[in-house]
Amino acid sequence: MASTAGAGGRRRPYEGRWDGLWLLGPMLLFLAALLGFPAVANLVYSLSEVRFTGLWSPRWVGLGNYRAVLADPAFWGAVGFSARFAVVVTAAQLLLGFALVLALDPLIAKRRWLMAFLLLPMMVSPALLGVMYRLMLNDFVGVIPQYLQMVGFSDNLLGVDWAFTTVAVIEVLQWTPFAFLALLTAYQAIPSDLVEAARIDGAGPWAVFRRITLPLMVPALAITGFIRFIDSFRVFDHIYVLTGGGPGTLTQSLSIYIYRTFFQQGRIGPAVAASMLLLLASIVVLRLLMAQMLRGSRG
Amino acid sequence: MKILRKTLLAGLALPVLLASAAAMAGEVTLLFWPGPESEAMQKVVDAYNAGPGQADGITVKQLLFSRQGYFEKEQADLAAGSSEFDVALVTTYTLGRYAPFLDPIDTQIPAAARTEFAPVALQSLTFDGKLYGVPTDISVHFLYYRKDLVDRLLSDPEWQKRYAEIAREKLGKDLKPKAPDDWSWDDWIAAALFFSAADNPDSPTRFGTVLQMKNLIFNIMLWQATLVSNGGDWLGPDGKPTIDGAAGRTGLQVYKTLIDAKATPPGSISYEYPEANAAFQAGQAATMLQWNAAFNELNDPAKSPTVAGKIGLAPLPAGSAGHKSHVHSLGIGLNTASKNKAEAGKFLAWLATRDAMTVYAQAGGTPPVPAILKAMAATRPEFPLVGDHVARYGFVVTGGTAAYAVPVYEVLAEKFSAFWAGQIDLDTALKQAAEGMADRIKG
Repeated sequence: MASTAGAGGRRRPYEGRWDGLWLLGPMLLFLAALLGFPAVANLVYSLSEVRFTGLWSPRWVGLGNYRAVLADPAFWGAVGFSARFAVVVTAAQLLLGFALVLALDPLIAKRRWLMAFLLLPMMVSPALLGVMYRLMLNDFVGVIPQYLQMVGFSDNLLGVDWAFTTVAVIEVLQWTPFAFLALLTAYQAIPSDLVEAARIDGAGPWAVFRRITLPLMVPALAITGFIRFIDSFRVFDHIYVLTGGGPGTLTQSLSIYIYRTFFQQGRIGPAVAASMLLLLASIVVLRLLMAQMLRGSRG
Repeated sequence: MKILRKTLLAGLALPVLLASAAAMAGEVTLLFWPGPESEAMQKVVDAYNAGPGQADGITVKQLLFSRQGYFEKEQADLAAGSSEFDVALVTTYTLGRYAPFLDPIDTQIPAAARTEFAPVALQSLTFDGKLYGVPTDISVHFLYYRKDLVDRLLSDPEWQKRYAEIAREKLGKDLKPKAPDDWSWDDWIAAALFFSAADNPDSPTRFGTVLQMKNLIFNIMLWQATLVSNGGDWLGPDGKPTIDGAAGRTGLQVYKTLIDAKATPPGSISYEYPEANAAFQAGQAATMLQWNAAFNELNDPAKSPTVAGKIGLAPLPAGSAGHKSHVHSLGIGLNTASKNKAEAGKFLAWLATRDAMTVYAQAGGTPPVPAILKAMAATRPEFPLVGDHVARYGFVVTGGTAAYAVPVYEVLAEKFSAFWAGQIDLDTALKQAAEGMADRIKG
């Protein structure tokens, strides 16, 4: 910017040294205000006994909240639900998304408008989707039970036997378009000359898929899977609207557990401690994944 | 670079200027939830702004938070000392939590104005001897039943014979059909079994009743009539939980008997207010325990053509202690952090008048003002019954207005919905509920 200004075009050693700071400043302020302050406040609250009547005067209790959370069976139940939910829906979204890419890529190349249609589900807010399905699953006015009853299925889709499957299917239906979009971009970036060369060498469709397409898609599958796993692990909206985390705590995700502990039970310290544990776990997973990716890119 | 610096500084200053301009004198903001209550309240606000508000130099406007998670959002804002709203919705069950952030309104609401209200409504918004809200709505529960079906049950010998057989076979009791006003819990269960296709293939309805068993605090408010009508309560005289006593056991088994017998839709485990209404509205359920607010819509021929004009209202079935119904009030309280307390106080004083409450009732609200409820019997036939049932059967459980009320409701909803869904047994549900209550009360 101003680094070349001065007599005879000679660079002055200290001129413009603050320009970078000015440019970075707004972003640093933004991060400090929106991430830094809440992070510090949460750390303090997680180590304190705090109530709504005394938000500004937390009482230090050390690791007591962490011990209470780790000893709470409901916390581990919520962790178990979130992990199982995230694994199942991520696997389903990747499989479905990839299958859609393989099936629809030639079609989409000719009809671009199909893309907008396919992406529609993820434009709907998850809470609104929950409300929509609450209506569609209603035994008396909902279309889904009406059709299921026609084929002799009369179980309650939000009862003990089916609640997990129902909320997982809704998540898959909403977010498979995201996996589809991410994987389609990677698929279309595969050099066509590689595929052509393989075909000239006599490779059939299966061999092309196994030896060329799949290996080249692995990074995209990993990234998409990671994003979807994180997003699904912290699921809240549609489950809360549909089942309230029940029956009992059968569909209580970690986010619902934290919400309930904080707002409904008024146990702010343990709720924030659970959030910090979740953050810690995310950082560990993220660090491992980043290390793996960097190793892969260097290789 | 100078231009960049100036732009950044200007950008930082802009929100401060906008925020300071937003605070306007003479404007009172009412924080409320969207739905029939806010629609009715808008009529009241309009009436104030067009009338007394002109003389007072005050304009009232509503600020609506979404209904889902409303109380959590309101609590967070109150606790944070937000002055974005001056008056806000308060309820019986959240009063203890909100009271530290609200101003008592004893001075704003004169004694003469208070005589208009049902005493129980004023009590339900009183905490530590101070009034914290102008009561605007009272809620009580009714047993809704299909008059056409029950009338036939009371007159058709064939139906009566089948009813007696089902009662003997399923409940092991000799019961005869009675008028719903005299039903005990056993009578209701027998009627529900009789009107269920699972036990009576000739039943005109698929289900005898429709229960609300979702893991939700409002469903526990509805259920706890089975507890109190059998002599139970949340707490004993020593302040310790008694939920795991005989009354709690009996009450939980009432619901469990009905869902196990398929006398309520299997989906009941995820039902709350609208789902239960939909079942009754569709003519698929013969009875229903429901909030008084449902009657207006269910009895409207345009909205409920199948059941309108055929609905009877009775007190909830009786236990050993007679008929009982949970009662709570909604009201409007004054935010301690408000910067317009004088203006807000004037609005609250007007809100407590019969004129304001009449506008509210005519717009769909249920104000706990007996004179208005009686006067509107022609257009709202359930109104006189609301006043009558509140006075005769209404209860507030011990601790129902305390700061721990919502956490206790929450733990009961979790444990009992798990029992009704078959996840845990009765003993475990009661034990965990009592332990959870003690934990929440201790804080």
